[in-house]
Amino acid sequence: MGSAVKIGILYSTKGPYGAIGRDSRDGAEFAMEEIEAAHPGAIEPVYIDPQGHIPAYLEGARSMLRESGCRHIVGTITSIARKEVIPLVEKHDGLLWYMCPYEGFEANENVIYTGACPNQHLLPLFDYLLPRYGRRPYLVGANYVWGWEMNRLARELINKAGGEVLGERYLPLEETAVERIILDIEQRRPSFVLNNLIGPASYAFLRAFRELGARDPDFLPENCPVVSCDLSECELDEIGAGVATGHLSVAAYFDSLVSPENLAFKLHASEHFGPDRHFSNIFASAYTAAKLCAETIISAGTDDPQTVRRLVSGTPLSTVFGPVQIDPDTNHMTLPFHLGCINDDNGFDIVNSQGAIAADPYLTRRRTKMPVRLRIVS
Amino acid sequence: MRETPNFTGWRATILHRPDTTTERLTRQLKLLGLTVSIQWEPLGAHELPDIVLIDADQGWDDLLPWRDGKASVPVVALLGSEAPGRIAWAMQQGAGAIIAKPVATSAVYPALVMAVAIHAERSAAAKHQQHLEERVRLRPLVHAAVQKIMAARKVDEEHAYSILRNCAMQRRYPMEQVAALILAGAEPLPEAG
Repeated sequence: MGSAVKIGILYSTKGPYGAIGRDSRDGAEFAMEEIEAAHPGAIEPVYIDPQGHIPAYLEGARSMLRESGCRHIVGTITSIARKEVIPLVEKHDGLLWYMCPYEGFEANENVIYTGACPNQHLLPLFDYLLPRYGRRPYLVGANYVWGWEMNRLARELINKAGGEVLGERYLPLEETAVERIILDIEQRRPSFVLNNLIGPASYAFLRAFRELGARDPDFLPENCPVVSCDLSECELDEIGAGVATGHLSVAAYFDSLVSPENLAFKLHASEHFGPDRHFSNIFASAYTAAKLCAETIISAGTDDPQTVRRLVSGTPLSTVFGPVQIDPDTNHMTLPFHLGCINDDNGFDIVNSQGAIAADPYLTRRRTKMPVRLRIVS
Repeated sequence: MRETPNFTGWRATILHRPDTTTERLTRQLKLLGLTVSIQWEPLGAHELPDIVLIDADQGWDDLLPWRDGKASVPVVALLGSEAPGRIAWAMQQGAGAIIAKPVATSAVYPALVMAVAIHAERSAAAKHQQHLEERVRLRPLVHAAVQKIMAARKVDEEHAYSILRNCAMQRRYPMEQVAALILAGAEPLPEAG
């Protein structure tokens, strides 16, 4: 390779999910700095910040692909942004490295998915929760596909388990008026709350839920936990220290993981970000995606997306998640499952773990028997 | 959608000349758990898969072993053309969903789900209609049986009808069948209840 290969880094550091975006960008940037130190001049990152505006994602991706000559983009957080960027990436036959936990039902040839899909987060979560807390949850979610689809699947799992969904409510990302939902929850008295809210709505909900627990002990976290599939360390500061203590969240990575991979990772990352920084699943994921992308390009000697995709998949990878693989059929990464309980230091105490789970984005492997034919939905 | 659709173990036949379209479709269908065969010749009525994907740009009438859109299995049309004639042809084959060409992989799963649901809905509606038609056709039998009961038991029409209905319910037969049996004398005339 002659000149440096350009990799686009497309994250929003502002807007309702700015905290997640900043951690993503930090993770990707940290990976790029490591790459630069090991292979000076090989890779040149191109940073664009769409600031949470959907049209700016498209403009940013277009500028990366057309003007900067990027063939790889590490980025996007919400499914809306991902779906917006994918057609352009397909058109240029590029590769998008998407690293957030998401609702599944996608397997695009031009995307590498290093974030978890429901069989890696929601399904093992419910396996853990239902026997311990009961089968009568209340579902809240962000008013877009993440919230809708996660809760639809949750409802399906609850129905199959013979349970009952006591309520289902949606809020826009920036909506913080959660009182009516809290009142409804107080009246219906669920066994736990599945929280698929995002950003300020989620933070306001957790604050209000703490007040509910203070006036009615049935809603203390040990009796009725609020459980999220994407709440991570980088958001706990925004919620406030101690506010969400005792509630649960799922991730493929927590700062508190005790593994040789994580201890080495944290030692190195703390030199850069200081000893007080908690690294989140988002940070670790963005770091892993950016690093895998750059390292594969360097070892391949080309940034041809299909060559890179072929080389990175179907082979054991050693990452901060532990040993994982990318499935060459689905382009999804195997990921471990960890359930963390929020502590007073804005970190997570790990309460349950499972080794690397292969992604099943369309949930085709759940049933072993021939499936029941679709029935008319009445 | 109460249950997540799952196509694991389904057999799909793609009626299309092998090219990049069939390659992309095959990849996506396989990861959805289907087994795939590709052919560009008529599909036999005795070798039906669970779902058919058919080239509506170049397809001809005898490719599928049914007429008038009465598809035996769910059909997805693969369509690049926007010509009304080709869209109409796709519908005549019984297509319940369209995947536009060139194929976007994200279009495949939604099309399968929709085609299967529409096929199930159409089959149920056709069955229901057939049932109703049969009942309408046999209505004169019911009428005649009611008349016979009215005369024999000296009751009004409403009463005679309820006698017949009770008899049908007890024997777990359709009304029409009991009526036919009564008229043929194969069934003793029910008592006035």
